[in-house]
Amino acid sequence: MSSERQGSADTGATPQRESYGPDDGILVVDDLRKEFGGLVAVEDFSFAVEEQEILGFIGPNGAGKSTTFNCVTGFYEPTAGTVWYQGEDVTGRPSHEMVNAGLARTFQHFRPLHDRSVVDNVALALVPDKLFSFGGLRGGTRDRAARLCERVGLGDDLHRTPDELPHAGLLRLELARALATDPTLLLVDEPFAGLAGSEVESISNLLRELREEGLTLVVVDHNMRGLLSLIDRAVVINFGSKLAEGTPEEIRNDEEVQRAYLGGDL
Amino acid sequence: MSEDTASGRITEEGGRSLPSVPGRYVVGIVGLLLLALLPLLANMELGLGVPGVFVFVVDDLFLLHLTTALYFGMFAMSWDTVSGYTGQISFGHGLFFAVGAYTSALLNLGYGIDPILSIPAGIVLAAVAGIVIGVPALRLRGPYLSLVTLVAPLILLQLFIFRSDVFGGELGLRNPENFLGFGVNDAAIVYYIALGLFVAIMALLLVVTRSDAGRVFTAIREDEDAVSSVGINPAKFKIFAFVLSAAIGGLAGAMYVHTPVGGPTPTELMSTTVNVEVIIAAVLGGMGTIVGAAIGGIFVGIVPQLLDSSGWIIPGFLPVVGGTPVADIDFLIFAVITLFLLYVLPGGILRAVIRNGRRVRNSRRGDDGVATDGGQSERVFTRVLRGWREKRRGDDDE
Repeated sequence: MSSERQGSADTGATPQRESYGPDDGILVVDDLRKEFGGLVAVEDFSFAVEEQEILGFIGPNGAGKSTTFNCVTGFYEPTAGTVWYQGEDVTGRPSHEMVNAGLARTFQHFRPLHDRSVVDNVALALVPDKLFSFGGLRGGTRDRAARLCERVGLGDDLHRTPDELPHAGLLRLELARALATDPTLLLVDEPFAGLAGSEVESISNLLRELREEGLTLVVVDHNMRGLLSLIDRAVVINFGSKLAEGTPEEIRNDEEVQRAYLGGDL
Repeated sequence: MSEDTASGRITEEGGRSLPSVPGRYVVGIVGLLLLALLPLLANMELGLGVPGVFVFVVDDLFLLHLTTALYFGMFAMSWDTVSGYTGQISFGHGLFFAVGAYTSALLNLGYGIDPILSIPAGIVLAAVAGIVIGVPALRLRGPYLSLVTLVAPLILLQLFIFRSDVFGGELGLRNPENFLGFGVNDAAIVYYIALGLFVAIMALLLVVTRSDAGRVFTAIREDEDAVSSVGINPAKFKIFAFVLSAAIGGLAGAMYVHTPVGGPTPTELMSTTVNVEVIIAAVLGGMGTIVGAAIGGIFVGIVPQLLDSSGWIIPGFLPVVGGTPVADIDFLIFAVITLFLLYVLPGGILRAVIRNGRRVRNSRRGDDGVATDGGQSERVFTRVLRGWREKRRGDDDE
């Protein structure tokens, strides 16, 4: 850790400390820092997401994954650093503006609207951000919402309430709601937590299909086993800073990563 | 109001021959028609058919009381828009009622401006008050916001007392001119003006809450972060709800003081009782439905008056209150009735009527209607409370 700290002070002598420019990817995060009081949750963290890739964002519990995520999507204001999306500086933009710019997210702790059916949950995401819009009264919105539900495998659950869905169903609902905002980049937070093996497989297939259709995906997880087979590339974060970056194969063989996971979880 | 529910059951059956129109719409229209026909029943005795039991006469005084109740119904609908739909519970909605009323009354009394112009001025100023209260709502959530709404009317009241020379202090102002000059002798016209506005405001709020904005309102009540995560700015919709609600509350208040029955006094417009009554009205009628708030508002507006003028005496065998005229403790009885209704009709009068209507219809058809709305029965009130709990917890762990 001490050598890394020194590295972060200069202009990027080590390969893991390079600094990024706005055009290095569809989403570029440069020297992102988030402090809560005296606690540094994310420390001068940089990475870039390339178009139409599936990037894994890996780290043990409490490593700062969700905090990074919240800073990028506008739920937290970063303490320092820059976020570029499609070449534009979007640091600190409120979350709804990020979504309308094409950057959608799902929540690790699912946040369905409990008062309405699955299809109405998705329909909300199709409502434009305008005070006076009556598209919902014509019924077109509901049809589109129903198609999106079918796309993620909720075709049989349209009129159930979220409380009636199994865990995997709630994840699919989160995905449908995010897809309804018509994103170009989708951040998926901890999709595999609590899923059975077969469900991990079918969700992975869904995410792969979405990528084939042109979507760029960033998948966050602390469980590498399910993730490494899905992703093209991974960024590993530990104690708020980057530990490693590379292909799944490189990550699997990285000693520092193995140490962070106590050699056990690979 | 007893006629309302009784006729409801009849039309419920009639509605079956018109499958395209749900029974509740028929009930609603019949209810409004009843309100519209009421002045034609002038000086006829209405009752339950038993001589001497619950008989009252539709006289001018009753129509004027009902006018008050209609404005209170509008006020309750305005509360429901912001609190029932977006879940931003306002404990001081009388503020908007009072700002609209005092603005219009002061302009009329002080500058001789006709109510037809001073009332819109009251609406505008109430809407501004809506922004003033709405902006803190962007930062504060749950109980913290409610505290702001609770304190704001207290500040206004202290201001009114401090500058009694302008605002008349705790006694209020004298009555301003009547709207279009219709006084006590034109009770039916005063009533019809109120009813017309009542219907118009109800239609407006139904359109707003049934449009896309209404979906966003209820989504904000459920989870604000989920709303912004689908690209919708919750702040914009919250301010909109506050301004709309405040403007309508202001309209109701301003119209009310220009009737022969209402006057610009703190007790009528912004006392704690008013602030609580409006919540009772909306929750009792059915929070988050608009129509329920309208029904609840009329109920809260008229029942104490009916009790007051009933002339009954409580039977002597009852402890504590035995032998007392009902008129002396009308508000106590009203509060007990309210508590009882809240207990037996969770979710409000409107939802109970719709649910029972459906059950009656389904049991006739032989359907099992339980599953169709089994998931929807959680009360809005419970949801809001749960939201508060989650927010308090959320402050710590994220």
